[in-house]
Amino acid sequence: MALRMTAQRRAFQALGNGILVLMLLWTAIPFYWMIATSLKHDKEIYGYEATLIPEKPTLDNYATVFRETPYLTFLRNSVVVAAGSTAVSLVIACLGAYAIARLNFPGRALLARGLVFTYLVPTSLLFIPMFAMMSVLRLTDSLHGLIIAYLGFDVPFCTWLLMGYFKSVPVELEEAARVDGCNRVTALVRIVLPMSLPAIVVVTFFSFTHAWNEFLYAHVFTSTTSARTVTTGLVNFMSQDVFFWGPLMASTVMSALPPVLMFLVFQRWVVKGLTLGGVKG
Amino acid sequence: MATSTTVSFPLPSSRRRLRWRGERIQRLLARDRTLGYLFLFPAILVIVGLVAYPFASAIVMTFQAKTAGTPGRFIGLDNYRELLQSEQFLRTVVNTVVYTAVGVGVKFLLGLSMALVLNQERFCNNLFRSFLLIPWAIPTVMSALNWRWMFDDASGLINNILVRLNLIDETISWLSNPHLAMFSVIVVVVWQGTPFFTMSFLAGLQAIPKELYEAAEIDGASVLQQFSHITLPRLRPIFITAVMLSAILTSAGIQFVLILTNGGPADRTMIFPVLAYNLALGGAQRLGMGAAVSLIFFPILVVFIVFLTRRMLREKGE
Repeated sequence: MALRMTAQRRAFQALGNGILVLMLLWTAIPFYWMIATSLKHDKEIYGYEATLIPEKPTLDNYATVFRETPYLTFLRNSVVVAAGSTAVSLVIACLGAYAIARLNFPGRALLARGLVFTYLVPTSLLFIPMFAMMSVLRLTDSLHGLIIAYLGFDVPFCTWLLMGYFKSVPVELEEAARVDGCNRVTALVRIVLPMSLPAIVVVTFFSFTHAWNEFLYAHVFTSTTSARTVTTGLVNFMSQDVFFWGPLMASTVMSALPPVLMFLVFQRWVVKGLTLGGVKG
Repeated sequence: MATSTTVSFPLPSSRRRLRWRGERIQRLLARDRTLGYLFLFPAILVIVGLVAYPFASAIVMTFQAKTAGTPGRFIGLDNYRELLQSEQFLRTVVNTVVYTAVGVGVKFLLGLSMALVLNQERFCNNLFRSFLLIPWAIPTVMSALNWRWMFDDASGLINNILVRLNLIDETISWLSNPHLAMFSVIVVVVWQGTPFFTMSFLAGLQAIPKELYEAAEIDGASVLQQFSHITLPRLRPIFITAVMLSAILTSAGIQFVLILTNGGPADRTMIFPVLAYNLALGGAQRLGMGAAVSLIFFPILVVFIVFLTRRMLREKGE
């Protein structure tokens, strides 16, 4: 009996190892190709002399990106938009989540429901009226416009995630603080927020990467180089004939790096926050 | 929640001199109702201004002939009528269903097998896990660009390898061959989206108490029996949530198709967000038509959205 069990277990372990190897290859090959291309001369990229492994690795493509394209502008715009929308949505979400988690008032449950519902409505249902609205408000081609637009996604998501954590902070702690003279705001700032630090980290990660990765709004609302973010900027490179794969892959590698590094650093918390209601399915 | 109005706290002497008005504000702010609405006001503003209002104006727009920046002209149901009669729209409906069903289905199966494999004990497992999740962390636009290059007719990796292995004589047009385009796009969707399922399922697997398996082992249940009687039923709630969330985001996701094929060749990969985009912003700028495309799909999405809303709130104890 026990022997049959171990044999079975071993077989499944072997099968698992086999699948793992295949999955690692499937995941790794596109990365490899992206990085390899970015390190090649054109001669190794196109035509009969194309290589699988760069024979004479070079950083020329990276230099080209910085020297001949507005990539730095895109990069700066992405940082500004991501940081701006993250900061604003954090403040709004902390206040909102605290109200839903701790205060008792009519309409509370309805608002909680409205927030989650809002988070789940995909932007592809909204981008057309949003574009019309942004045009009227003269917020197209502006970083402010993008920061505002991203709140529509970030605020509901952050509020939803934070309210669960806020509920897990013991009420007694807060009561004690209020006996000692704290009001609601100081209790939120001094007691609840420090105790919810892991959630704040997750929420920061999500809204920053969301803004960094967002494409549709950025693509629709901007049409000039000075307001483009990295995502729409690179797609725009692609549609221009003059731009080739070497420099494009170099800029792709550089644009993918920040969210990937953030993910690797915060992974433990992110996976936890994602088990339900994550982004990007 | 009886604490808020009954607790009175001694004020330091300096603050006793607060004027009457100040004290009244203080007292008002100590009430849950006032403070609740005050704290939620910015969030409500965001919901109304960035979701509810645009959504309502989308509905109005579908009854209009409208371009950006001009007031719309009311044309009744003409937009809907034109859409329902157009072959392109019907093709889009079929494509969207196929794209979503196949994409989500394959992501589900691969994600489940990856999660089961990663749940086994092995040397360096954490490292493998981190690595396998990276496609999820890469911005989708970057993945789409990279895959477009991999699929490239003349010099892309895939043709490059197939030629080297002498498997093909002529290179394959992965993205412009009408019979292959949908397949190619779904490959990319699966590559990017599988880690989300892996992460969700792995978290579910790790939450199953080990004692269940130990007890089953003592009773002589085989590995497969344990899987179908313990693992699958325990993961069911996560299955449902992950599939619904992924169905919403896959069907409404515009990047992959827009970057890889822009709906072509001959509408073979046209899905509804791309059609809406092309109608509203490509050339003719028919905002009303574009909005109508999105709105026709909304009733299907809203079923998933309502269901998920309830689940996500229950998870947070609401």
